[in-house]
Amino acid sequence: MALTLTCPVCGKRNGYEFRYGGEDKGPKPDGFGLTPDAWCEYVHMNRCVAGIQKEWWCHKDGCGVWFTTHRDTLKNLEVEASS
Amino acid sequence: MLDRHKPLWGKPPQLKKSYDAVIIGGGLHGLATAYFLARHHGMQNIAILEKRYIGFGGAGRNTAIVRANQRTQANVPLYKEALDLWPVLTKELDYNLMFFNCGNLNLLHSEAAVSAARMAIASAQFQGVESHLIDAKTCKEMMPALNIAEDITYPIFGAMYHPPGGIVRHDAVVWGLAKGAAKYGCHIHQQTEVTGINVENGKVVSVDTDRGTLNTPRVLLSAGGYSAAISYHMLGIKLPISVLNIQAMVTQPLKPILNHVISSGAYHAYANQTLKGEIATGAHMDAWPNYTTQTTAYYIRHQAQAITEMLPCLKGVKFMRHWSGLADMTPDMAPIMDGNNLIEGYFMNCGWGYFGFKSCTATGKYMAQFMATGECPDILKPFHLGRYAQHRLMGETAALVTYTADN
Repeated sequence: MALTLTCPVCGKRNGYEFRYGGEDKGPKPDGFGLTPDAWCEYVHMNRCVAGIQKEWWCHKDGCGVWFTTHRDTLKNLEVEASS
Repeated sequence: MLDRHKPLWGKPPQLKKSYDAVIIGGGLHGLATAYFLARHHGMQNIAILEKRYIGFGGAGRNTAIVRANQRTQANVPLYKEALDLWPVLTKELDYNLMFFNCGNLNLLHSEAAVSAARMAIASAQFQGVESHLIDAKTCKEMMPALNIAEDITYPIFGAMYHPPGGIVRHDAVVWGLAKGAAKYGCHIHQQTEVTGINVENGKVVSVDTDRGTLNTPRVLLSAGGYSAAISYHMLGIKLPISVLNIQAMVTQPLKPILNHVISSGAYHAYANQTLKGEIATGAHMDAWPNYTTQTTAYYIRHQAQAITEMLPCLKGVKFMRHWSGLADMTPDMAPIMDGNNLIEGYFMNCGWGYFGFKSCTATGKYMAQFMATGECPDILKPFHLGRYAQHRLMGETAALVTYTADN
């Protein structure tokens, strides 16, 4: 049961073609007045959700596009955003 | 008939209303911490809470390799002490941990790797850990099965030889430490899931489980790959961890051919021969977080290719079992050991990645000291959680074989 991901350009492809880009943490924080703690929170800290999370992927061995998708970390399967 | 085989750690104890310390996770780090709390610090009213059974997680899924040739000055002494403790614990626990001191050969496949090894060897020797650089011919003499031909994908230039390392029977460590902890009166509660950690006025007061609430002033989170999720779900504390799956497998048993542990960063593979004769090999990680512990055919192929290039005599040998475990990876490949700073009485010991087995004895000893005295021992101080915000990450990613979540 290997991972399959849906690239917005190429469609469903084998998960090994992709590079994981981390949990979706929203937009990059504004640099003005940014504290080390806030930067650390954005760069390093993870929720490590056991369930569905929104995350970044890059179609590294394909078209190279970066995109977000939802995946269930308990099943290692891509899921619809609403589920 | 099953009743005749009483476990070494006795019958399941009654769950008490309060404990002096509660340890979340019945793995090696949790059991070792309980053992040392009881043996060295006289704290015997301890509960170890394990959702499944002791040794279910990384404790039973690692490839049993032990060594102390890490990269940085903060890490080496901890692993050295862990290594030195195996023979001591074998006696103390009166249980054969089957420490096989066969030594580790870390193969080098480029001039750059040889330079990196020189740095690692210098660090090891500075800390009093035996480690040498050897050339390919010596590798071949030490391990005749090794292929040192120049026409393979990654020809072997030499190796970092670390004689004090070897392998330890990982299940025996679980059973031995459980036996030792139970002997001193620690309660090992299996099939007991922690559902919440209660904090009042900045202090830990109790732990909720599916069997009731336990009052306690001290909690240690030591749940291996599950620690980061527990930390965020129960306390809202995010950790710089990605939980990846690392796979391993064993072949059918063979006559002795591998008299050292070998590992290769270029091939992304390591192998050792267990005392049963199986070749245990591993190293591949799927580089995205998931909690499945599933295995993949992709990896069987990778491993077969890598291992048979280095050890051609293994062609045609069959893999018997293949499994996966969780590795909680930090950005600097070094663990997080901290306590009493975010919440009084709350201690954490996690982020070990795939180094949890080889470090469990020393970690247990020092985390026990930390929990009993409330003072962080000097050896653990560099591993505090605050280092990420201070941008003082450790240099363990420069070790010879590493994976990170985002490589």
